[in-house]
Amino acid sequence: MARHGQTHAPGNGEAGDKLMTLPNGGAGCVFEAIGLKKEYDDGQVRALRGVDFRIEQGEFVAIVGQSGSGKSTLLQMLGALDHPSAGSLLYRGTSLAERADLAAYRAHEVGFIFQAFHLLPTFTALENVQIPMFETHRSVSERNQRARELLKLVGLESRQHHFPAKLSGGERQRVAIARSLANGASVLLADEPTGNLDSENAALVLDLIVRLRREQNFTLVLVTHDIGIAAQASRVIEMKDGRIVSDRQNANPP
Amino acid sequence: MTFLSIVTHGLMRRPVRTGLTLVGISIGIAAVVALVGISRGFESSWESGMKSRGTDIVVSNMGSALTPKPFPATVRDRITALPHVAETCAIFVELMSIETAEMMIVSAREWGGFSWKNLKVTEGRLPRDAAEPAVVLGKTAAEVLKKKVGDTLQLETEELAVVGIVDGGAVVENGSVILSLPLMQKITANEGKINIIDLRATPGTSKEEMNQLSAEITRLIPEARAVIASDHIRNSQAYKMIRAMSWGTSLLAVLVGVLGVMNTMLMTVFERTQEICILLAVGWKRRRIFRMILLESALLGFLGGIGGVAIGVIGVKVLETTPALRGLLEADLNVRLLVTAVIIAVVVGVISGLYPAWRSSRLSPSHALQG
Repeated sequence: MARHGQTHAPGNGEAGDKLMTLPNGGAGCVFEAIGLKKEYDDGQVRALRGVDFRIEQGEFVAIVGQSGSGKSTLLQMLGALDHPSAGSLLYRGTSLAERADLAAYRAHEVGFIFQAFHLLPTFTALENVQIPMFETHRSVSERNQRARELLKLVGLESRQHHFPAKLSGGERQRVAIARSLANGASVLLADEPTGNLDSENAALVLDLIVRLRREQNFTLVLVTHDIGIAAQASRVIEMKDGRIVSDRQNANPP
Repeated sequence: MTFLSIVTHGLMRRPVRTGLTLVGISIGIAAVVALVGISRGFESSWESGMKSRGTDIVVSNMGSALTPKPFPATVRDRITALPHVAETCAIFVELMSIETAEMMIVSAREWGGFSWKNLKVTEGRLPRDAAEPAVVLGKTAAEVLKKKVGDTLQLETEELAVVGIVDGGAVVENGSVILSLPLMQKITANEGKINIIDLRATPGTSKEEMNQLSAEITRLIPEARAVIASDHIRNSQAYKMIRAMSWGTSLLAVLVGVLGVMNTMLMTVFERTQEICILLAVGWKRRRIFRMILLESALLGFLGGIGGVAIGVIGVKVLETTPALRGLLEADLNVRLLVTAVIIAVVVGVISGLYPAWRSSRLSPSHALQG
């Protein structure tokens, strides 16, 4: 658990090139949620009702639960896409609410993979992968080179000039994975990444994510309602009605 | 891929809508180019008309009509003795409908006055004397009226002989029907009246002395006002009105353009809400989103400006060759006006894009997870 006062390299992107001193929390603690709540419509909808957990560096955490259990809301909080209504969420010992530049956090610290891929339709695969890199100091040629390398990493070097409409679902998600790694994030947040794929492509995409995590040692938080996918995680957090109902380690992840 | 290519992608994703918006801005800018160009052209052709007549000071009462108000011809006698006055020429100018032409400049000049001397006869001759029932036509006027030497011209109730075709050296002069003053006074029942006195100063008179002379004439003659020839048209109420109207109409057209661009950019933001949220979710700063939308809008304005200048220039050239306007229209489409028009278009784009850009930058990245 917490190892106070140690240092940690958050990733291999621009922000990751700098070591950050942790005033609180352990060197391996990536996220720490304390009494996290999220309400909508003036409290009529309570998506999160007080959630506490810690996620360590390099963990593969699956968050499971039925629709409306709050798992996607929790992922939004982790990705700083939304603010909690109450409670606190620390990223490497620092409250996200206190961070002045959340855009930089989203650009350099975390990578997102969406269920619906969310590629920009008028850009090619190569261009889509470059989109997050506009928030770095990379030159045009460096962006281009990095995007080619990432597409090669996900096995799509031959499809780099194709537009999303000309790619299969599995290929689109692989482009999205490459995009999420563009700035060397140390945390990958995946929201039902195989939810829109057939079983064959789902298996391919999941294998790719698992392989990349193993190779690059990033922390992976994956939201799913598929028990089979959750079984591959090192830890499974189950949510129901905005609360964590179970949080267990997988004894023998594959 | 550069930031600019992302901006152009944004515009190209709806080519028909972008095209229609461009047409809208272009028409607005074309209106600016055409109307302002024509009103300035009117000013400069009037000036060159004065110059070709050799006039230094014009004495008239422009009022708010397109032609000056008549005043007694005897007014001239009060001017001639003033220092720096070399010679004067009494004139009566009227805009009249003549035969097939709806509006022609009819310029009647005191027989023997210096305003006749700069007319180069290209065909035929000048009238023999002030009493001869004859006219000479500026070369453009002859084309417009389809007249040649030997034909007759119906002016009000009088039938006058066309005795010559002249080159006056300026559009105003070439588009005029020119005749002797007494003849015109009789035809228009304005005996003893004139509405312009052209004044030529003695050689070597400085601009300051001319200003003093103008002030002195204006003091002596309450019926009219003396102005330096180059300032004459600028000071006329009618021209000021034309200029105000041309700018007013132009600005109205530009305002329509602003609304068009704003509508397009707002539609763009609404349609691309999720896309913008994805950009925010992958780490784009809000000010980059703001810049992207604003640049799209400015680019739309710039392209509309280029299109508008092209349409405006072509439109004016077509108008200038229209039979009804030939000889009356000489637009001043100088580079400064064209560049100003493009700048206006870019400003239109930027102003129109401010609200949509601000709105887009306020979106929440959490929408990226929806849908």
